Amino acid sequence: MSDAAKQITLTIDGVEVSVEAGTTLLQAAEHAGVVVPHYCYHPGIPSRPAQCRMCLVEVEGQPKLQPSCVFPAGDGMVVHTTSETAERARKSVIEFLLLNHPLDCPICDAAGQCMLQDYAFETGQLRSRYAEAKMVLGRDRVADDILYFGDRCIVCTRCVRFMEDIAGDNALVVAQRGHKAYIDTFPGKDLDHAFRGNIVDVCPVGALVHEDFVFKARAWDMDSAPGICPGCSTGCNIEVNVKENQVVRTKPRLNPDVNSYWMCDHGRRSLVMMNRGVRAEAPMIRRAGELEPASWNEALAWVAGALDDSSGIALVSAGVSNEALFYTRRLLDRIGIEGGTFQVDQGDEVTLSGFPKLKLRADRAPNAAGAELQGFRRSDGLPDVSDGATLVVLGDALAGAPTDYGANAGFFLYIGSHLVPAAGNATAILPAATVPEADGTFVNYEGRVQRFHRALRSPGVARPGWMFLSRLLEKLGGEPGVREIDDAFAVMAMGTAGMEAMSWAGLGLRGELLSEAGQPAVAVE
Amino acid sequence: MGDQVKKPLHPAAASSQPFQVTDLRPTERLFDDPEGRDRLEKALSRYPEKRAALLPMLGYAQERNGWVSDENMAEIAGELDLTPAYVRSVATFYTMYNKHPVGRHFIQVCTCISCHLDEAEEVFERFLSETGTRAGEISEDGKYTVIEAECLGACGFATAVQINDRYFENVTPEQVPAILDELD
Amino acid sequence: MGYPYSHDLEVGTQLSRHFGDERARTLEGWKELGGYATLPRALEMEPDAITEVVKNSGLRGRGGAGFPTGVKWSFMPKEPNGPHYLCCNADESEPGAFKDREILRWVPHLLIEGCLIAARAIRAEHVYIYVRGEFFPFSAILRDAVVEAYEGGYVGENILGSGWSCDITVHLGAGAYIAGEETGLMSSLMGGRAEPWIKPPFPAQSGAFGRPTTVNNVETLAAVPMIVAEGADWYRQWGTEKSPGTKLWCCSGHLERPGTYELPLGVNLRDVIYEVCGGAPNGKKVKAVIPGGSSTAMLTADELDCSGCYEGMAEAGSALGTASPIVMNEDTNIVSAMRRIAQFYAHESCGQCVQCREGTSWTAKILQRIENGEGTAEDLDTLYHLCVQMTGRTICPLADSVVFPLLSSLDKFKDEYEALIKR
Repeated sequence: MSDAAKQITLTIDGVEVSVEAGTTLLQAAEHAGVVVPHYCYHPGIPSRPAQCRMCLVEVEGQPKLQPSCVFPAGDGMVVHTTSETAERARKSVIEFLLLNHPLDCPICDAAGQCMLQDYAFETGQLRSRYAEAKMVLGRDRVADDILYFGDRCIVCTRCVRFMEDIAGDNALVVAQRGHKAYIDTFPGKDLDHAFRGNIVDVCPVGALVHEDFVFKARAWDMDSAPGICPGCSTGCNIEVNVKENQVVRTKPRLNPDVNSYWMCDHGRRSLVMMNRGVRAEAPMIRRAGELEPASWNEALAWVAGALDDSSGIALVSAGVSNEALFYTRRLLDRIGIEGGTFQVDQGDEVTLSGFPKLKLRADRAPNAAGAELQGFRRSDGLPDVSDGATLVVLGDALAGAPTDYGANAGFFLYIGSHLVPAAGNATAILPAATVPEADGTFVNYEGRVQRFHRALRSPGVARPGWMFLSRLLEKLGGEPGVREIDDAFAVMAMGTAGMEAMSWAGLGLRGELLSEAGQPAVAVE
Repeated sequence: MGDQVKKPLHPAAASSQPFQVTDLRPTERLFDDPEGRDRLEKALSRYPEKRAALLPMLGYAQERNGWVSDENMAEIAGELDLTPAYVRSVATFYTMYNKHPVGRHFIQVCTCISCHLDEAEEVFERFLSETGTRAGEISEDGKYTVIEAECLGACGFATAVQINDRYFENVTPEQVPAILDELD
Repeated sequence: MGYPYSHDLEVGTQLSRHFGDERARTLEGWKELGGYATLPRALEMEPDAITEVVKNSGLRGRGGAGFPTGVKWSFMPKEPNGPHYLCCNADESEPGAFKDREILRWVPHLLIEGCLIAARAIRAEHVYIYVRGEFFPFSAILRDAVVEAYEGGYVGENILGSGWSCDITVHLGAGAYIAGEETGLMSSLMGGRAEPWIKPPFPAQSGAFGRPTTVNNVETLAAVPMIVAEGADWYRQWGTEKSPGTKLWCCSGHLERPGTYELPLGVNLRDVIYEVCGGAPNGKKVKAVIPGGSSTAMLTADELDCSGCYEGMAEAGSALGTASPIVMNEDTNIVSAMRRIAQFYAHESCGQCVQCREGTSWTAKILQRIENGEGTAEDLDTLYHLCVQMTGRTICPLADSVVFPLLSSLDKFKDEYEALIKR
């Protein structure tokens, strides 16, 4: 039996835990339900300099306190993480860190989500006996969109090591030494790596901030919901931070199978961009020549009455949920339209070398695989609309379309969130919620079905596509419409290859791979 | 020292050439000429990793130019497959790499404990007044820069003063003018 | 003999016998003086046999830590699966220490011979002599000696026809005391910031370039040839059971005859200060001595009657360190001296561990204020508090190094601090 498989038992804060040989004390402590305070250690960054000295714990038999982030757990070890000596050491680290700290919490974005604040309160180290002048470093720019506040920096080097170990670009370094040490780039060479935004996430304090987030929102003013990034087909798991019904920040969420702790900068911007543009806020129908607002009941009844068996085409977006796509397919089946296409913007692929599974992928949409599963096909360019044909459009598929696109359609049903110019030609507009305004699922590049959750209220009476499309089908003689995402997912899963065994609850927050039947056609790297 | 010019450089000596010298031979590019390339290659030959030639090459830049510029750092980075930021991180860690030009004679007066117990501060002040400079500045005629140094490792011969690549020991304030006269 | 003075209490082994003799620094001169006589013998010995002799001699690391050298060598793998390295630590930057420079400039070939024998013992084939950058005159002498040794067949391929090869590279530092810490040295050698790393991994497992490495001080390696030549028992004729052999004592401060002397370990510290060095000049009394270089606890004039060896100095409440006594006379302002020492450490902290990065600088600032007459009683409390907070908590002992002299000065010269505290 190799050493790696060997189980050892040790006691941490009185709790006996059994771990694999090679586990560090800090990791072993998690098994005991203990989180040892730390700064420089980060579970996603392989280097362990053990330099912040915050994680020192008492190990019986050792003459000095030991850094738990690197000290290997030993069989029979007895460890105390909250003994008087350990706590005194921890408190002293905070005292030293606060010595030259500007204590500018009132104007620092990290307030409320700052590991320095948190541990200062936890250790009770709240008064300083420092009587000297504080060193002032000021503010510097390390990237187009990232600022560095040197006075707040605790030189934990997480940012340096993220860039080196994970981004594979040693462009951020510690300059000078001793109490003059600070973080810097080479003059004239600011960071421009596609994944640089993660340095802000790993910073335990407010030393690194996104310029487009600075002063925007307080930690306690933000709500958040777990989401999936709509920037590309990777489907990074994210946390959507919202203030006053606006997305103010996107952060990555851990998923060891998809994106680890990281996401790219393109993704960070994509949700924020969704706030822009003119929204469809109410159903609109062209009963007598002009588009007029109507209630949902009125609009759905009128559309159900007007749509009949006719030839037509469908155009969908690869950025809408599986549920919306499924119900659209049901609708198209019902009214006799076959096929349907979608376009996906393409971009350069960028791999995160330290976690190669994570790439900013060429498909700049989150659900091309989902669209294909529902029988839609990729196309280049917009399909021609024959005179008098039925045109069904789902999602943000007409962003770049000519203003007269669809004007010659017999019936143009626009199911979307934004009133792009071409939408003015619609016969009926059903206002849909955007991705952050609804629950739903995407299928990523490798066939992983992942949940995203509602973070915003929709404007007006816009609703999730799956909700009103299921009602529309009901009016066309189908089953009763669904009002809950669990039900929408269940109906969809039953009718979608590879999802038959899945449930909304079962997906959890990590998602599940499609069974073989539903695997995407495109080879997975 | 004259021998150094005639004999080809032995590789074992490539990483130990003095890098704070009086006679500079300024050059914009370090490794475009045969001497620099020879130094680089000989240094590289002594280590299993390119990165280990970094301190020797930073020293070479200063040997030629009297200080290490950002351009020098970028060029060294390119030769050693390092990022310029990394090279700068290393260069700024060490006291002896000048990030700005200094006077022709870089005068470093040790004021650490054993010299402090002697009259190091007075020696330092005397150098400042005789050269008409403030600490760290270049004198108007470009000849001198005077700073305090940490222990120079000549504690039994206090006060110790390093001027470029020479050691002056047992220095008293009274000797300062004569020392300065001796420098060219 | 000592440099620049000598004394009867001295032992003139091969280590110091030729201090002051410029002939000794050339290959020709050194050979005339009997140099390189041990190398041929060592080339015929098995590596472990060399280690055995050094182990039995009890030679302890002369860089300050005093770890038994033979034991350190025995940690190296016996069956190399790749290169081993020997690093000679010539970064001598400890305030008060100036002995290694004497070896470099007077007997560089002795050091070279010692490096080669040590390399053979640990199965290394490349020796890096890391010399502090400031030592231009002395590293130049060493460097020229290394080149001479190459040309003479003593270093390089097939040394003296033995079939064994070993290279030596002289590598200059660039101004960082912390490059004298063994992992800091290796970190710097590899082209990095001289930032010590946590152990494990230990250098003998993974050191320079990830390979098994031993780091030894100049004085340690310079003692190796004579130990191998004359044997362990011969070396043990001097010193104590636990601290055998001779030591270069480099004495500075207020002394009649400051300089370097080779004395047997176990010599009485009083004798070193008063007999050998002649005590404080101009009829002044000695007030305090920092015996082992600035990283050791201060002793008062009444506490000097102790044995100058590792265990003896520890018993006396201080440490032998590098055997570099810094002597302060009765006129010395202890607070000022301590302030200058603290400033040194603040300047030299690498900055990784917050206790050291912030603590050393804070200590220096408080001491400066006290020295300026702007200190308060709280400041003394803070200094005591800092002594506790900076001890035993960091990757390397730099932070501890400022505590030893600071705490001892607070304990033994409290009156001087209090005299400066404003009412």
